Amino acid sequence: MQHRFIPSRFLKLALLVPALAATFIIAACSPQHPQSTFGYAGPVARDQGELFLFIFWIAVFVFIVVEGAIIYAAIRYRKRDEKIPKQVHGNTKLEITWTIVPSIVIAIIAVPTIIGIWEQQRGAPTDQGDILEVEAIGHRWWFEFRYPNQEVVTANEMHVPVGRPVNIKLTSQDVIHSFWVPKLAGKVDMVPLNDNLIWFIAEEPGIYDGQCAEFCGIAHAHMRFRVIAHPEEDFQNWIAGMRTPPEPFEAGSSAQQGQTLFATHCKTCHTDDSWRQDAYSLEIQQQDSRWATWLADIEDSRIVSAPNMTNYSQRHFLGAGIKENSRENLIRWITDPNDIKIGTSMQDHAAVYQERADNKANLSPQEIENIADYLLALKPGDISQIVAPLITGGTPEERGEQLFISIGCNACHSLDADTTIVGPSLVGIADRAGTRTSLSADDYLRQSINDPGAYIVDGFTNSMVVPKIPPDQVNDLIAYITTLE
Amino acid sequence: MRLPRIFPRPTSEHGIWSWVSTVDHKRIGTLYAVTSFLWFLVGGVEALLMRLQLSQADSTLIDPETFNQLFTMHGTTMVFLVVMPLSAAFFNWLVPLQIGARDVAFPRLNALSYWIFLFGSLFLNFSWVVGDAPNGGWFGYAPNSHVAYNPTDGMTYWVIGLNILGVASIAAGLNFIVTILNMRAPGMTLTKMPVFTWMTFVTSVLIVLALPVLTVALIQLQVDRLYGTNFYNSAAGGDPVLWQHVFWLFGHPEVYILILPAMGIVSEILPVFSRKPLFGYSFLVFAGVAIGFMGWFVWSHHMFTVGLGPAANSAFAISTMAIAIPTGVKIFNWLGTMWGGSIRFSTAMLFAISFIAMFTIGGLSGVMHASVPTDAQQQDTYFVVAHFHYVLFGGAIMAIFGGIYFWWPKATGYMLSEGWGKANWLIMLIGFNLQFAPQHWLGLDGMPRRVFTYAENMGWENTNMYASAGGFLMALGVLLFIINVFYSARKRVPAGDDPWDGRTLEWTMSSPPPHYNFATIPVVEHRDDFWFKKYPETIAEYYHDDHAGELTAPSGAQFDDDVDMAEDEHAEAHASDHHGDDDHGHGDIHLPDMSYYPFILALGLTIVGAGLMTIIPVIIIGTIVLLWGLIGWSMEPVNDPAPDGAAHGH
Amino acid sequence: MAASATYEVKNEYGEVINTSTGLSNKKLLMWAFLGSDVMFFGSFIATFLVYRNRSLVGPYPADVLDIPITSVSTFVLLMSSLAMVLALSYIQQGRQKLGTFWIFSVVVLGAIFLLFQVYEFNHFVHLGLTPRTNLFGTTFFILTGLHGAHVTLGVLWLMFLGFGSLKGTLRADNAIDLELAGLYWHFVDIVWIVIFTVIYLISARDVAPPGSPPFVGH
Repeated sequence: MQHRFIPSRFLKLALLVPALAATFIIAACSPQHPQSTFGYAGPVARDQGELFLFIFWIAVFVFIVVEGAIIYAAIRYRKRDEKIPKQVHGNTKLEITWTIVPSIVIAIIAVPTIIGIWEQQRGAPTDQGDILEVEAIGHRWWFEFRYPNQEVVTANEMHVPVGRPVNIKLTSQDVIHSFWVPKLAGKVDMVPLNDNLIWFIAEEPGIYDGQCAEFCGIAHAHMRFRVIAHPEEDFQNWIAGMRTPPEPFEAGSSAQQGQTLFATHCKTCHTDDSWRQDAYSLEIQQQDSRWATWLADIEDSRIVSAPNMTNYSQRHFLGAGIKENSRENLIRWITDPNDIKIGTSMQDHAAVYQERADNKANLSPQEIENIADYLLALKPGDISQIVAPLITGGTPEERGEQLFISIGCNACHSLDADTTIVGPSLVGIADRAGTRTSLSADDYLRQSINDPGAYIVDGFTNSMVVPKIPPDQVNDLIAYITTLE
Repeated sequence: MRLPRIFPRPTSEHGIWSWVSTVDHKRIGTLYAVTSFLWFLVGGVEALLMRLQLSQADSTLIDPETFNQLFTMHGTTMVFLVVMPLSAAFFNWLVPLQIGARDVAFPRLNALSYWIFLFGSLFLNFSWVVGDAPNGGWFGYAPNSHVAYNPTDGMTYWVIGLNILGVASIAAGLNFIVTILNMRAPGMTLTKMPVFTWMTFVTSVLIVLALPVLTVALIQLQVDRLYGTNFYNSAAGGDPVLWQHVFWLFGHPEVYILILPAMGIVSEILPVFSRKPLFGYSFLVFAGVAIGFMGWFVWSHHMFTVGLGPAANSAFAISTMAIAIPTGVKIFNWLGTMWGGSIRFSTAMLFAISFIAMFTIGGLSGVMHASVPTDAQQQDTYFVVAHFHYVLFGGAIMAIFGGIYFWWPKATGYMLSEGWGKANWLIMLIGFNLQFAPQHWLGLDGMPRRVFTYAENMGWENTNMYASAGGFLMALGVLLFIINVFYSARKRVPAGDDPWDGRTLEWTMSSPPPHYNFATIPVVEHRDDFWFKKYPETIAEYYHDDHAGELTAPSGAQFDDDVDMAEDEHAEAHASDHHGDDDHGHGDIHLPDMSYYPFILALGLTIVGAGLMTIIPVIIIGTIVLLWGLIGWSMEPVNDPAPDGAAHGH
Repeated sequence: MAASATYEVKNEYGEVINTSTGLSNKKLLMWAFLGSDVMFFGSFIATFLVYRNRSLVGPYPADVLDIPITSVSTFVLLMSSLAMVLALSYIQQGRQKLGTFWIFSVVVLGAIFLLFQVYEFNHFVHLGLTPRTNLFGTTFFILTGLHGAHVTLGVLWLMFLGFGSLKGTLRADNAIDLELAGLYWHFVDIVWIVIFTVIYLISARDVAPPGSPPFVGH
């Protein structure tokens, strides 16, 4: 026995590796990441995450035992001399032990597993408030959301109330997709001809990132969506807004010209007026017939299923959740969808793209701008129904810009110093504010947003209505407006 | 009944034609090994390209279509063109040597398997040349692989290529079942068989039963794609979930087809370098059989998110967790083998130990997604990618590399360098863990699989960067192996017959073995027969150390009788390799002559397959070649009735 | 304890060798192959059953299937198995002429079965059922078609052996070759019994499932 073996030193070594690994894993949990499965915001995701951690710590224990034993055996029983070790053939008692002990461990894991399966797959609990019923339909490569009881149709952004269970019927029109919002619930597949069910409760207001998790073709990576959880009141406003037509467009305005262009080139596939009476059942019929038309002539059909555009300016993102819904991005998108997202059916089928050899939109830049202006003007005519979007990420200026558009400030306030729409142009406001009141530019703008009548610029009347905007978002808005030059 | 010969019977012992017409299991094993190692490099390059693309957010290095082709072909290549045929290389080289046979039961069928595999793999990869590589994933989920959603030819190449490869696998599986059941040396009962041979047997049974199921799925998809039938046409009511059931009913046994041979390899390496018999032989073998059996009842764990309902999910969760129990038994028995041994850390042993360590991690993460609720978050994310790479690379490939270092001296007659070998092992192990450990938390952080890119704000960029760096480190490890092969081939350090103090029959013969393997068919008395013949003083320990004492030493007398029985057989001696010193019967060393027909038949089959892409003239040409091979084969006697036996010898 | 575990049998070259099980290698191979083929047909039959009553349009089984005619062809195939047994028995006994006669009887009966199948396929196409029509057509034609392909291979194989018997190359001492073909033939026969039960006996009365239009014909 020349090398005395010292267990304690060895044990330290054996524990160090898994301890480091565990630290690393926990540090990497990063619940703030958009799709972290540890950033629970609802009971389903929490149960799933906690069950994972339960199994994880058991696994860590087994890991330490097995890997420790490997390292121990490797060191303890390394070759020291030429003696032949005892030719042991086995040990029945040990065999029985290491069959039974893992069986018990497995049973311990199985019990919460089975409970979890039945809880999560039984549908939304009926004792935690009114259940909101939604139907989610997967398309290559975007998500359609239908609210059968509210008769609302939208795409890629699913609005839900905070604290109420949401029951979602999942299906798909073409290939298999998967509905996954990691912070709210683990995924469930969207399978053609097979209705599936998923439910969750969003406990906090916010925007939750979701993504298709089943490989579905070329743009699979770009098939994303958002779940937007609002306080109940805002959710009801949003629903009401989806049933309210926009204000008519002024004749000759860019938006009004865009409306005509949209009707010519886009409207066969994109419904933009589901606020109409009976529009809900009509849209379902139309979506089915668009689908059937495509199926009948897969190569050359000029008609495909497409996202519903009602109240489009309320969207946070475009291209199934991959880019901010800004005017600039929208113009890029209309000009050449492939510039933002590969493989859109629109570009492969719509006549306006097929007419050109390079598959870009067969429209003048002016026409494209008109369509963009039209889409960004699609918002409920009743301003109280506009829900300030919950924009996260990006700089305050970027968030403010989106807010500016989606609330509809741009409908009255021009971004061109020489153009006046209804209210004064906001270009250079940061410099001009000081000439109006004694307030700083920021405070002046905050006052004007919260109480539009407090100071009226000469030559204008106070006709400004603003939706309720949370203070943080007012700051974003101001940050954006003060950059306008 | 003789047809006029177009070719004379092949007789050359050297040069390319000797390889084309060989029916020697060792040469066929070498062909499998070299071919599949080349495909391993191809699959590795595909992986590296993907890692390059994913190392940065919003990267545009590789376009989405190519990326989809890369991951489809990476998976298909690694499963069907690397791990399965590399295992087949070991089956071919070792099974006859381990059971004391001179060849497999059907040598020409064995050659046919190899040639079909080669042509099938070339056909599959020919799709790269025409620019239409398969792009629907190695799992080919319908309806995404249906022609309506996938109109290019890629998935047709995939379907036909895999069907051709399936024929090769089934033929090889049948061959090894018969070989192992029927060709064992006297005295080698099933309970005395080396564990590698046992695992080959279980694997072969799985191949023979599972591959037809894949064939069915592929035929269904093929007729759908080419002739407009409705199996997976959802517009006509075809159910996409059916594809998943059929595919995974094949696919899960397939996982064990990939890992059981590796377990067999490790079970051979550990005892030799611990200088101890395998601990709990019967439990370990039984665990292997149990895994092979239970592997049929867990397929739906690939489909936990498909919506099979809570009852089915619960049942499959439990069966999946249960399969961890025999797997655990194996791991503990390997530990038991090391325990109390005298461990020599050769490169082969280091790979084998790494196998246990890495496979344990893969097993533990496997239990995590056996739990349906946690799987809901993990399914189709990088967590699963990490899991099965720990099983298939950390498991299967590590064991296969261990096996290469272990048996290389036997196959070639010279040693692989241990210095380069250990560098190879270390770099590969570090690179592997650097690549795949971070992928666990990429998955938990919400990164789905099979995405060609991801947005910058997702927080995945750094982790992906580590993983990509790990990938290149792994590639360096493989490069070190290649260097080692060339370095050692130049050095040619002679190995001797038994360089590692081995335990099983393959170490009794010269290195490399003569082409008839055994001059005298051995008579087997014990497990680890060679060891106990070398060290007879240790026999008593083996049979009497356990209180259970369920085994008793066979008495020598029985064997003498058997030997007598065996002696008076056979009449004429054919082969030139006749050894005069046979004193236990099997005196005539009788090996089948070489033949071109397996090559021709395989070629014909592949041409017909290619023609199925609706090219009628090609089908006709292929059928002619196929019939030529078939008729030539059945008319060709296994051995020409040579007027003079020596004419075929050297 | 059969320590030596070897038995004398003939090897694939017609010579005596020892095998561990006492079965010849060829026979073991055939049994293992049939096991493999069970999975093949099993999966197709399972597919047929899964898709039963799920066609969206006609014709449905009740509109086309003709049990009496197929019963006749099934009877023919069953009789061919009897002929196969006789053929093997005579060849093994060395009664070459009778053996040859019965081998060709199997060939003829198998061919008659195939003719029935050709007739049936043709008839169904005239009735408006093709593999593309609906799920029933797809599963029916592919399953029975692949069975027909197996029968065709068997017929060719037996023809080959029949000529061998005629020329005297198939004799009592290598009757194993015929036995293998016999195993295959009986297997294909048994598979047909299952297919006949599943398609013609169980599904023959299937009409339009609820929600699908009835088939009105052409």
